[in-house]
Amino acid sequence: MASVSEMYDVGWEEMRDKLRKWREDNRRNSEQIVDVGEELISEHASKLGDDIWIIYEQVMIAALDCSRDDLALTCLQELRKQFPDSHRVKRLAGMRLEALERYEEANKHYDAILQDDPTNTAARKRKIAILKAQGKSTEAIRELNEYLEQFVGDQEAWHELSELYINEHDYGKAAFCLEELMMTNPHNHLYCEQYAEVKYTQGGLENMELSRKYFAQALRLNNRNMRALFGLYMSASHIASSPKVSAKVKKDNIKYAAWAATQINRAYKLAGRGTKETKYSVKAVEEMLESMQITMS
Amino acid sequence: MAEPELLLDSNIRLWVVLPIVFITFLVGVIRHYVSILLQSDKKLTLEQVSDSQVLIRSRILRENGKYIPKQSFLMRKFYFNNQEDGFFKKTKRKVVPPSPMTDPSMLTDMMKGNVTNVLPMILIGGWINWTFSGFVTTKVPFPLTLRFKPMLQQGIELLSLDASWVSSASWYFLNVFGLRSMYSLILGQDNGADQSRIMQEQMSGAAMAMPADTNKAFKAEWEALELTDHQWALESVEEDLMSRELDLDGIC
Repeated sequence: MASVSEMYDVGWEEMRDKLRKWREDNRRNSEQIVDVGEELISEHASKLGDDIWIIYEQVMIAALDCSRDDLALTCLQELRKQFPDSHRVKRLAGMRLEALERYEEANKHYDAILQDDPTNTAARKRKIAILKAQGKSTEAIRELNEYLEQFVGDQEAWHELSELYINEHDYGKAAFCLEELMMTNPHNHLYCEQYAEVKYTQGGLENMELSRKYFAQALRLNNRNMRALFGLYMSASHIASSPKVSAKVKKDNIKYAAWAATQINRAYKLAGRGTKETKYSVKAVEEMLESMQITMS
Repeated sequence: MAEPELLLDSNIRLWVVLPIVFITFLVGVIRHYVSILLQSDKKLTLEQVSDSQVLIRSRILRENGKYIPKQSFLMRKFYFNNQEDGFFKKTKRKVVPPSPMTDPSMLTDMMKGNVTNVLPMILIGGWINWTFSGFVTTKVPFPLTLRFKPMLQQGIELLSLDASWVSSASWYFLNVFGLRSMYSLILGQDNGADQSRIMQEQMSGAAMAMPADTNKAFKAEWEALELTDHQWALESVEEDLMSRELDLDGIC
């Protein structure tokens, strides 16, 4: 089995820089990290200096993802030797227990950390993750709510809570969580789009209007968000076809839907530029749009 | 009136001016590393962390509330500011102003601060004064009145000498303040060798007490939030969006 450095013809510095980039981008490409990291650790450990500890942590988490328990254990032992009293290392030990499905022990581990340092957010989040892994969604939601009461500013927690609520079909509360995220990140088009989708799913005229507005906002923030474009088309057609709206609203929404349809057609034309299949795909798009049209009364 | 220009021995420049600069600089760097070693861990309580985050959330609500629907904004504003049980009205934190005498951790912090900063300055200032005494070191470029003479011309017993000619002790003090920018260049911002900043902090910091801040901060936030209104940013978003064609560059 050829080593990574042979396959891609890279030196150890490039491998280390690649790992750093993945770390900064928070990417979870665990198999690649394990391949690159394992080689870096076994062959070039002495050259890495102090970087090696954070690489151990990164590789360990990736190894747990890929079920490479041997590698994870090695990394953990090295880290334990170097930092015997560290909470960060204890959390990694807890994660390994979680990966082995020894949830009781892992919970005890995290409780010990929290007794020592009640403000440690990492341990609390791992406990909630255990509940989620065991399938106890209601408890996970309850714990996460309590966590958020203390740490209102934790954005990834809000996002996780919104996901849990969507899985439980509690769309109102999911919308609340997404609103928190939109407030803290007003320029992130993905949150706007997710919020609009939740509102669309909730249904009802008012929610439909909100959903259309937020799809439009997502598009304004990022012109290329196709999902938002389709969402705009759907929500506008939905409102236009509802019997309870006034004529003016109906007219406006038909206009919005038509505009959205033209943009969709344009996008598919541009995407298919240069290929023979363009004609066919454009026709397919038009047919799809027609079939998606809610019958207007 | 042109006063007679003194010509200083160039040996003075070589053996006095430059060594003092080096000494001051090295002492500053050593002070920086010592202060890092002696830094005590700041343990924050859960309540403090929680409060600071709540304040941030309220501020974000004020600034970015216009991106969420009006109903949601009002709901949150009500949660914070409601007369009977709004968060800012209801929570009163226990206020214990930490006087240096009663709070042991603050006392040790103060002591460490003094030891690392004031003590070396006094010691080295005195040593320089003793070593490099009895001669004129340098001339400050602006004219000074006679009242500065005893201060700046410590070891020099010449009544008729212009006050602009100063001794080595004053050159040392000049260096302490002058090398501040060098420290920021080499040790980065926020370094422990920055004496004048620390002295400024000591003077203004005595008036600040952290926990009392929380209650006041809550009150300030309550007032600010009362005044905020909801101007929905999405009023005319569809019109804005449709005023021009979408920029689909790069879609593939």
